[in-house]
Amino acid sequence: MSRAGAVLKRIFLGRPMSHGEMEHTLLPKTIALPVFSSDPLSSNAYATQEALIVLAAAGAVGLNLIAPISLAVATLLAIVVTSYRQTVRAYPSGGGAYRVAHENLGMYPGLLAASALLIDYVLTVAVSITAGVEAITSASPALHDRKIVIAFAFIAFVTLMNLRGVKESGTLFAIPTYGFVLSIYLMIGAGLIQCTFGSCPTAESADLSFHETHAISLFLILRAFAAGTTALTGVEAIADGVPAFRYPQSSNAAKTLTIMAALSTSMFLGISWLADQTHVVYIEELEEQRSVVAQIAFAVFDGGFFFYLVQAMSAAILILAANTAYQDFPRLSSILAKDQYLPHQFMNRGDRLVFSNGVLILAVLAGILIVVFDANLTRLIQLYLVGVFISFTLSQTGMVLRTRSLRHPGWRHRAAVSGFGAIVTGIVLIVIAVTKFEHGAWIVITAIPFVMAGMRSIHRHYSTVKTELAHPARKPAERRRGHQHMVIYVRQLDAATARALGVVRSMRPADITAITTDPGTGSAWRRLAREVPLTVLSGRRNVRKLVREHLMERRKDLGPTDFLTLVVPELLASRSLLEIFRRPGLTRLKASMLTAPGIQLLNVPMVRDEIDIMIDETQEPARNHVLVLVSGVHNATLQAIEYAESLHATDIRAISFGLDPEGTEKLGNLWLEARIPHPLEIEASPFRDIGLSLRDYIRQFECDGIHRIVTVVLPEFVVSKRRHQILHGQTALIVKRYVLFERGVVAVSVPYHLHES
Amino acid sequence: MAFLSRLLDRLARTPEDFRAENLRWWRSSIPGTTPIAELRARERAKVAGVIQNIRIDPREGSGAIEATIIDGTGHMVSKWLGRDRMPGIGLGMGLIMEGMCGIGDDGELVMLNPEYDLVTDPEHA
Repeated sequence: MSRAGAVLKRIFLGRPMSHGEMEHTLLPKTIALPVFSSDPLSSNAYATQEALIVLAAAGAVGLNLIAPISLAVATLLAIVVTSYRQTVRAYPSGGGAYRVAHENLGMYPGLLAASALLIDYVLTVAVSITAGVEAITSASPALHDRKIVIAFAFIAFVTLMNLRGVKESGTLFAIPTYGFVLSIYLMIGAGLIQCTFGSCPTAESADLSFHETHAISLFLILRAFAAGTTALTGVEAIADGVPAFRYPQSSNAAKTLTIMAALSTSMFLGISWLADQTHVVYIEELEEQRSVVAQIAFAVFDGGFFFYLVQAMSAAILILAANTAYQDFPRLSSILAKDQYLPHQFMNRGDRLVFSNGVLILAVLAGILIVVFDANLTRLIQLYLVGVFISFTLSQTGMVLRTRSLRHPGWRHRAAVSGFGAIVTGIVLIVIAVTKFEHGAWIVITAIPFVMAGMRSIHRHYSTVKTELAHPARKPAERRRGHQHMVIYVRQLDAATARALGVVRSMRPADITAITTDPGTGSAWRRLAREVPLTVLSGRRNVRKLVREHLMERRKDLGPTDFLTLVVPELLASRSLLEIFRRPGLTRLKASMLTAPGIQLLNVPMVRDEIDIMIDETQEPARNHVLVLVSGVHNATLQAIEYAESLHATDIRAISFGLDPEGTEKLGNLWLEARIPHPLEIEASPFRDIGLSLRDYIRQFECDGIHRIVTVVLPEFVVSKRRHQILHGQTALIVKRYVLFERGVVAVSVPYHLHES
Repeated sequence: MAFLSRLLDRLARTPEDFRAENLRWWRSSIPGTTPIAELRARERAKVAGVIQNIRIDPREGSGAIEATIIDGTGHMVSKWLGRDRMPGIGLGMGLIMEGMCGIGDDGELVMLNPEYDLVTDPEHA
């Protein structure tokens, strides 16, 4: 990368971190608390209000019920937290409800929990960013038309901070989170003193006249209770993110969960108590009314500085609730990818050791949601909650089964707590699903099965691929060694074509032929390589189809173990990546070769500044070092090794780039067990850039392209359904981009065609 | 301008430089070890470094396994002969080894079947 690019990346993202620095990114409790609590704590800014809206329908009688209902909500919170404290100890690898449900209830409940959580994290970002934007636009209505732009700016900011790293974003966002807690405590404290020693302040809406539309009923109370349980949202965050904590992870996570629960419960009860004492009324239909917390703050502090402080902190924490989702969505998707339910790319860690792909996908999905819902908070918030309560219910049910099967001392007591919690959250789930169904919950309820089906089919695909790659009947290594046939594609007679001829001659294939679409090259070609027959392809069809047809025709006469390689010389004008786009026809030709069964593709690139007219490029390089890039020991690797053996190379070695000690040890043992008669080198790529690491590795050979070359053999999977290709890492593509411009390096793609059915 | 240029240099400092600095610091915290750059052939020494490359060669006898370690001053190789399983080593682990330094085929320093200790996470302390 250019220096300017490196400096820019450094400024925005920070120094790339090596894999060994992982522990530096773990969170101490003081940072983990705000990171994971901004979502659960922020719900206090509106939970009481949600319950009051429902109760207002039953008039003054209804409003009086806010205290008992809040107590019930607080009790439920305590139960759920108790259950999750067991979860973080039982499943220190994170994954929360997904892990619990998957292990104890089975695959489908696990996927249900996972989809519910993933959807909910996207909603958390969309809702909290929209809420923050709402707070800003209500302060200055002129900005109302720019809602979506402002929302995007917030998303971009939070995304960037999270790409910088968990700890960095956590430290920055800790300030407003602690600020919010303090300001609410100040408000509760001030209110408490006034009510105890003087007279309680009265809210501005206390005298509001409103008519009751419903008589008090059990269903109404249940609805109010369900609305109040909004206070529980975000409790699941810690259980999903245990691996982000410093060691001892489980116990730190459990402690943080307790502290978070204590803060959340006390704030919620305090706000509800003050709402009762100040006789706040909040009616949904009424416009131009301040939020319940704002009204209480105004009454308690009589306007003034502290009122604005509470307002500002509430707005800040609403935006920051998004940050909790940014912690959990990428982590959960990496866990799902590891379990083969999501594309493997979600496991990749970026420069700062965060799961960058998850962060970016979350940002994009939340952005789409905001656009589709036109940044309308009232509509977005209806989608919320269903997912959370699905995960609560499944997680606690799973914990009941787990405690029952393990039967540790005191299991009856613990199972009873989780079981009761599961029943109550289950009831709340039904109430929410029923009451919010037509307002938008149906979108989530219909989306969940689709997400589940998607994950299921990804899983099925990965497992069939795995079986097929390991299938002994297909193992190429046990087959008779085949012959190598090479076909040079002559687009024009240039230095690269001459060099390709030299390279191909040094590989001593069974036969060499050449093809062209330009009838004029014939005589010049005979001067260059008398012994190589040139076939002129002609026809009205495009070049890609002509070449492909010619090769498929040749293929028919060859045995199944023979290789047929199309050699593509490429003269590049510069070392810029744009070269790839300058020849779209050639790029498409190469791409179409990958899907043709039994055809391999040898790229011989040469950059124009390497041309030296004093050198005969057609001479054979004396040394050819062959590197086979491997990621595992399976049929595609074995086929590539067999290909390498057909090249009459100076030496053959397999090379793999790795990160973690466990993976490298496993690969080494598999290599020894497979009895492959070539050395394997496993090279550390601590900055997780395989292309760059391979380039540095190749440079040790000091090849010049004339006397000494390096051949990189890339095994590639080709799946039968095109849409499935995205599920497989595009390592070969990334690697080619780097080796294309290296002097004296040629690259071969050896596609392995899967017939997964 | 000089200040600005220094700042740019610092910002553009490669992660590899940063890592090498960390490794030197880690090596110096282990008593009795010598930096690889100061080693001489045919002398006993104790060195510490992080495993950067592992080479498994099933062709030599019943298998040879080599680990190349780096300590921020240079690199050297530890070689185990007659192995058909990995000796518990993995990339990124710290290897502290003691033995006689020899010279390998490519002129690099090699210790044959050294006494060794492994450290799981050397790069954070």
